[in-house]
Amino acid sequence: MAQRPEPGSDDELLRSVAAGDAAALAGLYERHAGGLFGYLLRLAGDRMTAEEILQDTMLAVWRSAAAFEGRAKVTTWLFGIARRQAHNRLRGRPGPEPVGTDLPDRADHRPGPEDLAIAAAGGTPVAAAIDRLPDHHRDVIALVFVAGLPLADVAEVLAIPVGTVKSRLYHARAAVAAALVAQQVREVSE
Amino acid sequence: MNELLPAYAAGSLAAEDRDRVRAHLHDCARCRADLAAWQAIATAVTPQVPAPDPARLVRAALTRSAIDGPRVDRRTHSRVRHLGALVVAEARLIRLAVPVASALVMALGVTLVLVQAATVGRLPGAAGGSGGAANLVLALIAPIVAAAGVAGTYRSRRDPAAELVAATPTSGRLLLLVRIALVFGYDLALAVAASAVLTAADAGGTASLYTLVGAWLGPMALLSSLSLLIAVRFGPDAALGAAVGLWAVRVLAGGVLARDAQPARAIVEAWSTSAPVLAASAAAVVVAVVLAGRGEPDGGWRATHPV
Repeated sequence: MAQRPEPGSDDELLRSVAAGDAAALAGLYERHAGGLFGYLLRLAGDRMTAEEILQDTMLAVWRSAAAFEGRAKVTTWLFGIARRQAHNRLRGRPGPEPVGTDLPDRADHRPGPEDLAIAAAGGTPVAAAIDRLPDHHRDVIALVFVAGLPLADVAEVLAIPVGTVKSRLYHARAAVAAALVAQQVREVSE
Repeated sequence: MNELLPAYAAGSLAAEDRDRVRAHLHDCARCRADLAAWQAIATAVTPQVPAPDPARLVRAALTRSAIDGPRVDRRTHSRVRHLGALVVAEARLIRLAVPVASALVMALGVTLVLVQAATVGRLPGAAGGSGGAANLVLALIAPIVAAAGVAGTYRSRRDPAAELVAATPTSGRLLLLVRIALVFGYDLALAVAASAVLTAADAGGTASLYTLVGAWLGPMALLSSLSLLIAVRFGPDAALGAAVGLWAVRVLAGGVLARDAQPARAIVEAWSTSAPVLAASAAAVVVAVVLAGRGEPDGGWRATHPV
């Protein structure tokens, strides 16, 4: 690239990382830690796994910083790496259970799988419903709301058109709403 | 406007769009309800645990990088190991009959020369000049043994693993190269060993090891490479037939036909150890390897049914 990156920008930091500057790696991490960790936490579902993938991600950044050509934004490049590392580690793990298929036929006052899932997801039924979305819906929700990326960047990370990002968002929201309704029906019938 | 609400709830809109949405929300109850739904999702997914401490996480990543070592080294290392494993695997696929038969034929030739040398003493310039019986026998046997071996290397119907090899993700050209290197290398070693035995036994008359090797090396390379080329193009049986035919012509030209006549002399000249002959052999191998990547031999047996 002919033009020099602005001092203090992500590009500048990444260039230092490529030159072997460990402090620059820490700086880059600090800037994006919240978004990256939140995103990976959503994909992985538990803190330990998310932390391992985050470590994988920073290792991959350290090793391939020199390969960054500046064609994409640093943020989309970072989230692309994180997503790939998550796929590598989560591959072969069973997907989320489909929502609302197991209606209990008698009242049970012990905490059911639903309640446990809600507790694990951070306490709210909405969070639990999101955790049970299919992977490609959860991915979009996490990139938009947790990582806080603009829709155009989300489209770039996922290598899909912006229109598809929007339609996945709406489908995910509809699925969450349906799951909440199904759960309420169950609570009333118990 | 509706489309901007998710990004508005996520806080990722540019300032200009954000102000526009805000102004619109003031008047539109439907969009306000819509926004509330997006905000519920945004709140639900906000992580409750803080990200790991930078110093600790970056140190852990760098430690792993140092332990694993530089990636480039590991790659070249594993490539060498991969090639080694490939050679071993290919060696196991070569049918035992091929090296055993080659060794037997070569041993027979050596024995013949030794017996003849013991009974007759020294043959007075039997054929081709000063080399004597050793030259003649090795020059006749070594090329056809190698060519026959090489003919069977490319997708022979008798190869028990041919189907597997055809379906393997490793490039067919690489497998072919590894296999001919193995077969030709083995025959080369065999011929060198035979020459060494004959030189040590002094059955080669005045011939040194160098001239003995010179008697068979060129013809062996040329006949093997032609055999490979024909095997790749027309299949192993055609290759074996052609190799035997070509070699028969050479033998006839050198012995039975009048050796001083022009065509016969040209033929013998063409089957000698010289730079042009070796270059032509190398060229034939290159062409064969290039052709090997393009489908299967004509009329040959196929690993898969054509669709």
